[in-house]
Amino acid sequence: MTTMTTPPVQDETSAPFWEAARQGRFLIQRCPETGRYQWYPRAHSVHAPHARPEWVEASGRGELLTYSVVHRGNQPGDPYVCALIRLDEGVTVFSRVEGVAEADLRAGLPLAVAFHTLDDATSLPVFRPRTA
Amino acid sequence: MMDLSGKTAIVGAFESPRRDAPRVHPFALQMDCILGALDDAGLALDDVDGLCAASGDWAEGGGTMDVVELAEYIGIAPTYVNSTDIGGCSYILQAGQAAAAIATGLAEVVVISYAACPRWWPLNTPSFDPFVFPAGPGQYEIPYAPTLISTYGLFARRHMDLYGTTPEQLAQVAVTFRNHAMQNPDARLRKPITVDDVLASPMIASPLRRLDCCVVTDGGGAVVMTSRERARDLKKKPVYLAGYGAAVSRTQNSQIPDDLKTPAALSGPRAFAMAGVTHDDIDVAQIYDAFTITPMLALEDLGFCGRGESGAFVADGNLTLGGRLPANTDGGGLSSNHPGKRGIFTLIESVRQLRGEGPGVQVPDAKVALAHGLGGTFCSAATAILTV
Repeated sequence: MTTMTTPPVQDETSAPFWEAARQGRFLIQRCPETGRYQWYPRAHSVHAPHARPEWVEASGRGELLTYSVVHRGNQPGDPYVCALIRLDEGVTVFSRVEGVAEADLRAGLPLAVAFHTLDDATSLPVFRPRTA
Repeated sequence: MMDLSGKTAIVGAFESPRRDAPRVHPFALQMDCILGALDDAGLALDDVDGLCAASGDWAEGGGTMDVVELAEYIGIAPTYVNSTDIGGCSYILQAGQAAAAIATGLAEVVVISYAACPRWWPLNTPSFDPFVFPAGPGQYEIPYAPTLISTYGLFARRHMDLYGTTPEQLAQVAVTFRNHAMQNPDARLRKPITVDDVLASPMIASPLRRLDCCVVTDGGGAVVMTSRERARDLKKKPVYLAGYGAAVSRTQNSQIPDDLKTPAALSGPRAFAMAGVTHDDIDVAQIYDAFTITPMLALEDLGFCGRGESGAFVADGNLTLGGRLPANTDGGGLSSNHPGKRGIFTLIESVRQLRGEGPGVQVPDAKVALAHGLGGTFCSAATAILTV
């Protein structure tokens, strides 16, 4: 993977997310009071601000909402696809889409999460086409 | 709530004619602009008791106490300051807040100033802005190396999918404002372009091509505001701040709403309500154009056209002289001037239009102007309605 060189600065809230990612699991948060999901992870629930969200493993499935192919970025390298993905759980995440030719990118494309190992502490979720 | 409408006026405005300022510190450029705006008003530096700036980002020269650094540099000790930085539209927000300060007696003469020199700036200043810092909310996005333009690309692509907007319609935005820039001797780019030229320019971050993107200039500008009463005795015709609104919403891409609505949908109605005018009353508009999609979403959020209709609105010629909403009469950010936060220029060009001093295309007998900006990637918005 090109130009993915800035590792995340993990913190108290995000540590479980990154630990799970390292094990190949994609976590999102759910509000214990309303049952609603949220992305990105926070120390509080945006649906019930006094509640602490709980971690749940997401399906890792979703579809492409919109994308931009970066042909000229901040660093040299091959074009890459920045994208918003709507997870089956209803939240939208920002990530990369890999394994799809530019001409085949389209809104609604079924996707599934995959993981890239950045370093010993970090695996980064990306999305690839879903076959089933 | 106290009625702010028309209580204050912009009495001086100045845009540096420079588009390249090699080895000029941005504070030096700001000083040129401040003196230019004060001279335009018939005021002196000694008259200034308020200073507004947002000069702490890359290529702007200042740090986290930028407004203090700037005050020291220009040699004043202002008793009212505002360095709220919500991105490119900061200066419109600062104008609205300066109006409140002046109307309530906190300040009498306020300068709002901006300059940046991205073309030569040598320092890769450590920045903690949300678009580069992989901590907190940014830790889930920055590792993927999104570029500013690619985020605008996310908006543009979805607008195409939702509403059938075409690359040709996007290109028409660039062509329209280039036509205006051709009349402006200070504009960075003055060569005529066609829709085909835009579509043939290199892809930067799809669907946005090079000519869908603003120029990168060194530059700056300043405006001076004071009370309605004091404005009467000054050199130039006062331009009254009739309406103002601002709003902020998000920074992270994951928080972009499905319907692409931006905070302009909040700032615009507040400005119109304060001014007591309708869309049909607006004679001329300056609408922040960092990329071709930028003013299109603003047109929809501000209510100049319906949701998804901005492509057709632009293609029908509504933004040209003689159209329903002549816009970016100086050539805008796409062709004239974009050092990084061009909100100040939307105020300056509005003032010039209302005085009949437009350097590019001049709307005859303009009485009501709209200046609108955004910050970041549609993260914030501020709108001002100005009248004579």
